[in-house]
Amino acid sequence: MKLKPRTLAMILAGGRVDDLTVLTFHRPKSAVPFGGFARVIDFPLSNLMNSGLDRVAILSQYRSYSLINHIGIGAAWEMIGRYRGISILPPYIGYGHSQWYRGSSDAVYQNLDFIQYINPEQLLILSGDHIYRMDYREIINYHRQKDADLTMACIKVPMPEAHRFGLADIDDEDGDLGGRVVRYREKPENPEYNWASLTVFCFKPEVLYKMLEANIKEDASYEFGRDIIPRMMNENLRVYGYKFRGYWGYTRTIEEYWQTNMDLLGPDPKIKFSEWNIRTNMDHRGIGDCQPLKIGDNAGISDSLIYNGCIIEGEVERSILFPGTHIEKGARVKDSVLFFNNVVGKDAKLDKIISDVNTTFGRGVRIGTEGKPGPKTASVIGWNNFIKADTIIGSGCIVYPSLPSEKIPKQIESGEVIR
Amino acid sequence: MNPQENTLVLLLAGGVGSRLNILVQTRAKPAVPFAGLYRIIDFSLSNVMNSGMKHVGVLTQYKPLSLMRHLGTGEAWDFTGRSRGVKILPPSTGFRDSDWYKGTADAIRHNLNFVRAHPSQEILILSGDHIYEMDLYRLIEFHRRKKADITIGMMIVPQSQIHQFGAGITNDEGRIIEWEEKPKVPRTNLASMGIYVFNYEYLLKLLAEDREMVDFGMHLVPMAIARDNVFAYPFEGYWRDVGTIQAYWEANMDLLKDDPEISPEAWGIRPNIESDQLLADRIPARFAAGSRVSRSMISAGCIIEGEVVNSVLSPGVKVGPGCRIRDSIIMHDCSIEEGTTIDLAIMDKRVKIGKGAVIGQGENKNIPNSKYPDHLYTGITLIGKEAVIPAGTVIGRNCIIHPWCTQECFKDKVIIDGETI
Repeated sequence: MKLKPRTLAMILAGGRVDDLTVLTFHRPKSAVPFGGFARVIDFPLSNLMNSGLDRVAILSQYRSYSLINHIGIGAAWEMIGRYRGISILPPYIGYGHSQWYRGSSDAVYQNLDFIQYINPEQLLILSGDHIYRMDYREIINYHRQKDADLTMACIKVPMPEAHRFGLADIDDEDGDLGGRVVRYREKPENPEYNWASLTVFCFKPEVLYKMLEANIKEDASYEFGRDIIPRMMNENLRVYGYKFRGYWGYTRTIEEYWQTNMDLLGPDPKIKFSEWNIRTNMDHRGIGDCQPLKIGDNAGISDSLIYNGCIIEGEVERSILFPGTHIEKGARVKDSVLFFNNVVGKDAKLDKIISDVNTTFGRGVRIGTEGKPGPKTASVIGWNNFIKADTIIGSGCIVYPSLPSEKIPKQIESGEVIR
Repeated sequence: MNPQENTLVLLLAGGVGSRLNILVQTRAKPAVPFAGLYRIIDFSLSNVMNSGMKHVGVLTQYKPLSLMRHLGTGEAWDFTGRSRGVKILPPSTGFRDSDWYKGTADAIRHNLNFVRAHPSQEILILSGDHIYEMDLYRLIEFHRRKKADITIGMMIVPQSQIHQFGAGITNDEGRIIEWEEKPKVPRTNLASMGIYVFNYEYLLKLLAEDREMVDFGMHLVPMAIARDNVFAYPFEGYWRDVGTIQAYWEANMDLLKDDPEISPEAWGIRPNIESDQLLADRIPARFAAGSRVSRSMISAGCIIEGEVVNSVLSPGVKVGPGCRIRDSIIMHDCSIEEGTTIDLAIMDKRVKIGKGAVIGQGENKNIPNSKYPDHLYTGITLIGKEAVIPAGTVIGRNCIIHPWCTQECFKDKVIIDGETI
């Protein structure tokens, strides 16, 4: 059984992330578009492919259609074959207990029979929500070398930010590589240490099975960070921290999501995108059928990423454009992220916006607070909207998806939410 | 059964296309890249797919490797499934007919086993060499309505070009009454597009008649016109035989026009994104601050730091800062270092151009290539696959740099108009 996979990877992709507002009304966080052609989940999936791990399960719950559609048969990540594959595990009705996933660890617990059937030597549990590149073989090797019960990847975050994360205090057992986790706190109010968990966990399966059983019997909440790790710390199990030092995009707010996109740009971008070998499913939204992008006579493009299928006749600066987007003559798009099939009409000026798919901006629409001093926040436009000609929208606005166009006022003040 | 399912398609993809010069040194003409992401054969294959036919045999002969890799399982054109398929039909040795294909009809004759294995109502014979969009199902309908034995797709071309084609003279109902293959003196302007519909049994009978008749246009069609029902199906629209460097360049430039007549995406033309060019692994095109691009087509994976005007770039082309590229076609993963000027060139895949080189130097476009004066005479310079052009080299007009030329091939820094390396 040489071909039998030794590692099963499970991706937690069920969550919605409230702070991303309209971007996650119709899709889970992991299916949010990123990087001009891909989706957030393409990052962990491509990491797995590049690490040679090709037995994968995806735990999905919230609005899974977009995600299921995107995964397809897994061929985009070479995950089809006798021992290679992506299984999507949605909640199910069974004999006896039948319920929604009540938390990240419950989602795994409810699929114990699946895991035991595969019977891996180690179980790699990942979040499907983050933008990063990691060779998981390194953490798995470290995990095996330490004979750990759990090895978690951690990254050093600034102290003032640390309270948002699960935090580990890692000793110096293996210097820069990692060490034993001596203390762990989930989102403490006053952090004393700042190695934040990336939600990349490598478990010894039989230990995890025991923890999950005990957690289900004894606790009222079922999360890895809040329940399982503290339980393992209490029992003094071998919990190790693997110190990750690469780029990590924690895109849980609109501002973080926007910033992570911008990290793809500039003369020396923080994300070395072309080196990351990110694959996406080219059948999803038919992006494989797009022709090369067309650029008109008076177009001006600066510091931007633009995919096939776009038509650029206006100006684009520091922006990311997904396939099928059309920038008409005289329009200007700056510091923005436009998802698939947006149309920006003649002379429209968009400054720092994130626009979801199939939205059209009429002639002369203005978004942003160009010229005014002070930091701007991005305006977010939900999908399938038509913004009428000459509408003026400020910064930090939110327009809900699929509104009848008469419900969108001709003037929207900064910070307003249009439902 | 749908009528589309009742038509077997045979795609002739064996042609050398020698007038495409070094572009066909390593590949057959149908496999020549076109419009950034595509190969020429994608147009025929996609037309077949969009017309709903399900079985295609692709007849290859000349340098079929890159074509075979490109076709793969046929999945890109939706030809996978129980009742669908693309089969590659190379020449093969056999009990009696062991020889290379001697002509279009001879190629079909060698593959009668395949034809007999797919009994159908009609056989549609297409060439894999042309850039066009056509609803082939309407052609089949026309063929049936006319109760024809053969229907030939034909279009009106300028009288000056008729000498390159088979020409037909029709009567009022569209029946072809006279045929001239590549006439020197034109009597009509109706030209054959190399698209033939045959009734299945009729074709088998016709091919069996005389084995010396090896070509449709030259032998079988003229004979059939004299005694059987042969009709002309009139096609209107964009159609190009991109068989010369000039025509190939012009068709690429047609993509860049306002309201272009040619639009692969709108036509439903599919590339094979998973074949060797690996579009599937490309990130969006990156435009640096200070880049200037106008009237061009740019594919994913390009990195543009300089200036690109009126050009078509395939995936993965790197254009360094201070470069000026104009009126050119640049294929996959060419790397053009800073300060280079390229004017009116076609560059095959993975060419490397050193700093400050000039390709297409001077204003005199009238000195044709000395070796191939009838291939290169309008100023276009050709650079072959994976050639390496040293920094500071100056190359004139109508030049040919052969594939895999390296530093050592360039004895001089200056290559004059019409020279070949």
